[in-house]
Parts: sequence; C-alpha cells; structure tokens
Amino acid sequence: MKKGDGSLIKKAEEFAEEKHMGQKRKKTLFFLKEDKMKSIIFDSSSLISFSMNGLYEELKKLKKIFNGKFLITKEVKVEIIDRPLSIKAFELEALKLKELLDEKVLEMPSALGVNENEITEETKKMINLANNTFFEGGKQIHLIDAGEASCLVLSRILDTKKIDNVICIDERTTRMLVEKPENLEKFLSKKLHSKINFRKENARYFRGFKIIRSAELVYVAYKKNLVELKNGKNVLDALLWAVKFKGCAISTEEINEIERI
Amino acid sequence: MQESENVLRILKETKEAIKEEDNIKLKNLSNQTVHTASVSQDPENIAIAVIVYSLSKILERPKYREYSSSEKLFNEFGICIDNLIIDIKEKNSKRFTKELTHFRAKINKLSGKLKIYVQEVFRKASINKASRIYEHGISMERTAKLLGITMFELANYAGQTGISDVPESNTADVKSRIKLAMEMFR
Repeated sequence: MKKGDGSLIKKAEEFAEEKHMGQKRKKTLFFLKEDKMKSIIFDSSSLISFSMNGLYEELKKLKKIFNGKFLITKEVKVEIIDRPLSIKAFELEALKLKELLDEKVLEMPSALGVNENEITEETKKMINLANNTFFEGGKQIHLIDAGEASCLVLSRILDTKKIDNVICIDERTTRMLVEKPENLEKFLSKKLHSKINFRKENARYFRGFKIIRSAELVYVAYKKNLVELKNGKNVLDALLWAVKFKGCAISTEEINEIERI
Repeated sequence: MQESENVLRILKETKEAIKEEDNIKLKNLSNQTVHTASVSQDPENIAIAVIVYSLSKILERPKYREYSSSEKLFNEFGICIDNLIIDIKEKNSKRFTKELTHFRAKINKLSGKLKIYVQEVFRKASINKASRIYEHGISMERTAKLLGITMFELANYAGQTGISDVPESNTADVKSRIKLAMEMFR
C-alpha cells in the first residue's frame, strides 16, 4: 500500500464489505488459531480511565497475559503524556503513563512495523471524512479530532496487515460514529433541537471497527483474577463504577447487565 | 464570529442580569450559547459561554463581595460587555476578539486571593462548558481542545454526570462486547 494515495480508504471499503458478509470473523478465527499477532489500540479516553483510577498494575497484568501488543498512536501520546506533563495537576498521571511506554506495556505502532507518518497522513483524511458526515443548517459538525481518528486509521492499517485488533475507546462520540451513526444523527438532532443531515454514503468508511471500553477490560482483569482485592462481587461493581466515574461511556443499565453475566 | 445576532442578545441580557445580580438568569443565558457553540465551535462563542457562566458563579457566592477590589472588577466587566456589544453592532470582529482577550487580561492583572478565586471560577466554568458540549455529541478530545482544558479534566467531570445514561449511547449488545474482549485474551 502506497503512503497517502487514498488506498487505505479503498481497503477500508473492501474490509467493511467483507465484514458485512460475515467473512471477517472466519478470518479472525483462522489467524487466532495460527497464533498470529494481535493488538489492542488504546484511545486517550480509555487510558485516562485506567490512569485516574490508578489501575496501572491491572493494565500491566493484562498485558502480561495478552499475546500481542497494546498500542497507542503518536497523536494519543500527545494527549496522555506530552501535554499533561506540563500541567502540574496531571503531571503524575503523565509520568506513570510514560513509564508504561518505557516498560513497553504500551507501545508505538512502529513495534508492529507501522509507519507513523502514514498514520498521520491517513488521519487527516479520516478527520475530514468524519467531520463531513453530519450537518446542521448546512454547516458541517466537527465531531472528532486527531487522537480519536488516528486509532481508527491504525486499526485499518493493522487489518490490511492481517493483524487482529480491537480499539479500546471510552468516549462516546467516536464509538457511536463507528457502531451506530444513525444513533448519533438522532442524538445530535435531539440535543441541538435541529434537523441534522447525515451523509449516509460516508458511513461505510466507519464500518467494521471492533470496539471495547475500559469497562470490558476491567471485566477481563476481574475474571482472570488479576485484581488483588478479595471481596467477591463488590470488586467488579467497584471497578465498573470507577471507570464510569472517570469518563467511560457506559450506562448504569449496562453495568448491571455486565454484573449479571 | 458566527450567530452574531444571538450573541448580541445574550450580551445585552447579561448586562441586565449583572445589574440585577441575577445569577440564575446568567446561567440560563450561558446554557443558551451551548447549542451554537457545539455546532459553530467558534472560539468567540465559546469564550462568551465561559464568561457568562463564570459571572453567574461569582454572583452566586456572596464570598466575592468580601474582596475589596470586587466592585471595581465587576465595573470593568460591565465596560468590557458594553464594548463587546458596540463591536458586534459595528461588525468589528477584530476589536471583538481583542476585547475578549482584554477580559482575560483583566483577571490576570488582579492580585491576591481575588485573582486566585476568579481564575479558579473561570477554569471550572471552562470544564463545565466542555462537559455540556461533550454532552451535545462532540467528541471528548475535540471538546477539550476547544475549551483549552485537558482530557483528564473533562473525563473526570463528565464521568460524574449522566452523559452516558442516554439510550442512543447503547450501540452494541453488552454480552457481545464482553465476548469480544474475552476472545482477545484467549
């Protein structure tokens, strides 16, 4: 794939179509059987939930049992490390997250041979697409920014490299754009008290991403006995509410459902 | 600046509300700017939303009157709002932007505890407005950038609201998402 020639977008369309036909799952299972590389791509919001709850050890333990890479993009690094390092209130969180990067718990995409300039180039296109999808009174609504878009781009690049991946993202808008853009249309219309025009033809570029949140990861940590708190069901409840209170977009109803599983 | 007619109305009503020391009216006026700010994402609109909300919070707490220079500060805020109104009427957007910068500069020129108090009110107002814009469907990163705050501040504040407890937020089946996460760790 050549850099910056728009081929990633074409690949994305093909991938989305494939997934639509149910072939993606078969491929995923095949690669898992072959013990191929896999990856979790972290957006800023999900790492902020872990960080502000002090769940660094849990993240390290999750990485230990994960046969793959925990990745962040350059754009996400700016939001969770570079910028907060200069702000006293969040300097400690930034240092702790930097340590995770130094210890290779988190890694940059180059760890999987992905060219970071390619991500930056494709991110510009992804931002442009996302922000030209919903309109109010003829005006485009600028929905997402570089960190969020770069995670989507990295996921697509890993798809083309046949590396199984999921994006861990706690903030709501990007998840809605990817999983149910029609919900986002409804929601924007309700909140802005206005008719929203949804350029549906753009939606195909956002299909096929696999999304989890910090909530699902703390569930995995709990189920795999990686949380060193011994208080039965309360631990899971505490973990789920903790990430919700630090910005993970999960509803009370969803928390209750997870606890019933 | 976008939606200048709306901003003009809000500024005129803000002036009245300050005179009447009506913090509830100021809060409502600030909320009215959120819809516009979410779509236009115009820095001037956002600055007005933060200023009006901050004024409402300052007036809400009688504590500000304890500071000797607080009356002078409110007079200066009043002059700034008058100037902003003139700038909109004269369609002088450059002067409008400059006046908004002056507004912030006046706070930075304050001294002692009043400066710390007012700066804190403005910082919290920025986080509050960011949370409202995020609530309107703009992403967390985009909103934090618009308001000049960190995503840490926004996530912490937004997490304590009911933002994610809306039906449209449920975009996938809970069990499927858990299954997906568990499968990745197999």
